[in-house]
Amino acid sequence: MIKSQRKWNFAYSVFVFMLFLTLLQLNKNIAILLALGIAIGYTLQKSRFCFTAAFRDPMITGITELTQSVLLLMGISVIGFAAVYQISLKMHYDLTLYVMPFGTATIVGGVLFGIGMVLAGGCITGILMRIGEGFAMQMLALVGVFVGAFWGKISQPFWRQTFGERPGVFIPDILGWIPTLIIEILILTALWGLAKWWQNKQLGE
Amino acid sequence: MQKFWKAFSHGPWSYWVGAVILGLLNIIILYVRKRPWGVSLNIEQWAMWFASNLGFITEHLTLSELLSSDGTYLNLGVVLGALWSTLLASQARFRPIRYKKYIISALLGGILMGYGARIAYGCNIGGFLNGVASSSLTGWIFGGAIILGVWIGTKIMIRFLI
Amino acid sequence: MINIVQYELEIWGEMCPIPLIKAQRKLKTMEIGDVLVMETEHSCTSRGIVVWANKHKYEVIETEVANGIWHLELTKTHK
Repeated sequence: MIKSQRKWNFAYSVFVFMLFLTLLQLNKNIAILLALGIAIGYTLQKSRFCFTAAFRDPMITGITELTQSVLLLMGISVIGFAAVYQISLKMHYDLTLYVMPFGTATIVGGVLFGIGMVLAGGCITGILMRIGEGFAMQMLALVGVFVGAFWGKISQPFWRQTFGERPGVFIPDILGWIPTLIIEILILTALWGLAKWWQNKQLGE
Repeated sequence: MQKFWKAFSHGPWSYWVGAVILGLLNIIILYVRKRPWGVSLNIEQWAMWFASNLGFITEHLTLSELLSSDGTYLNLGVVLGALWSTLLASQARFRPIRYKKYIISALLGGILMGYGARIAYGCNIGGFLNGVASSSLTGWIFGGAIILGVWIGTKIMIRFLI
Repeated sequence: MINIVQYELEIWGEMCPIPLIKAQRKLKTMEIGDVLVMETEHSCTSRGIVVWANKHKYEVIETEVANGIWHLELTKTHK
């Protein structure tokens, strides 16, 4: 029996709208970002998008539909970011990209993050989305993330001092913009082809 | 029109539709925020605030600083948006934990994930997706490490959780 | 006369992707024409099983039986 949740939805929509209007009074930028965040949450839930599944499913079931979609998302982002960055340089619009330092901590962190997201049933974004869906398990996982983030922040100096870290490498600084974009798109396309081949191989059995 | 509305509100949408919309939103966020979309830095700031209130550390951001930080609203938006999505499709319900093993797995997974994300300066979004999108070498390295981690995680999961 | 057996698989409350692994294992023990019935409240799990079944060309029917609960009927149509 499906009961309509229209009344709840109406009340909730009013609440979100009020929150949006309040923020709009205080700070326009923040209100727009809230709206964009809501759009992201909506899209993630509706398309059942899951970054964890994109990494995990090829290893378990051999279905790479989500992997291919994540690669598409990355391709769009790579081109879009390059375009926005170029335009912002021309218009003197102050923009920062994420070029982070790397070192042993990046690899160890990535491995721990990978293990964690399989066990917790979603990466951090996935957890936030599933909290919205009402999963108690992911609410608990968020508590874990808070503990882990606190612990991680405290041990950042340890990793930096023990293993050292290199300043971030912004690939266009070395290769120039056009070759970087070509190489990145080629790698993403190659990975896409690999994912497709893997799926066909797994289905062919 | 009614058919479109039904598809819009109930879904599920194809994965590639989600990818295209997320890609566009990601680019818009870069423009509006002047920084790419990231999740875990804000989580860390909130964790530090909680820790300082519990008396573990002294230096931290104040509550008003946290409430005026844009990352908070992006993260809040993801939760609110997902809830809106389920309510619109009349699929909202509380989904409790039904097995004890998942309490351990969720807590342990969360801690590993939070720790890993913060020592590597980014999670799946800020570190991997937008690291790669920013043409930073770190993003590619982090992505490779995640693949290795997921492989280990899958082995652990199949061994202990089934 | 082929005897169609209907199996039920308990995947209630399981985390993604454990239901799919269980379904895969169960399906191996079933005869062609048998039906596997599952019920889940996890939207991603339900979708994952449907995508997987479609890729493997198994027959699958997904119905929403209550608010946020999906009922899946998977028919093993071939080896």
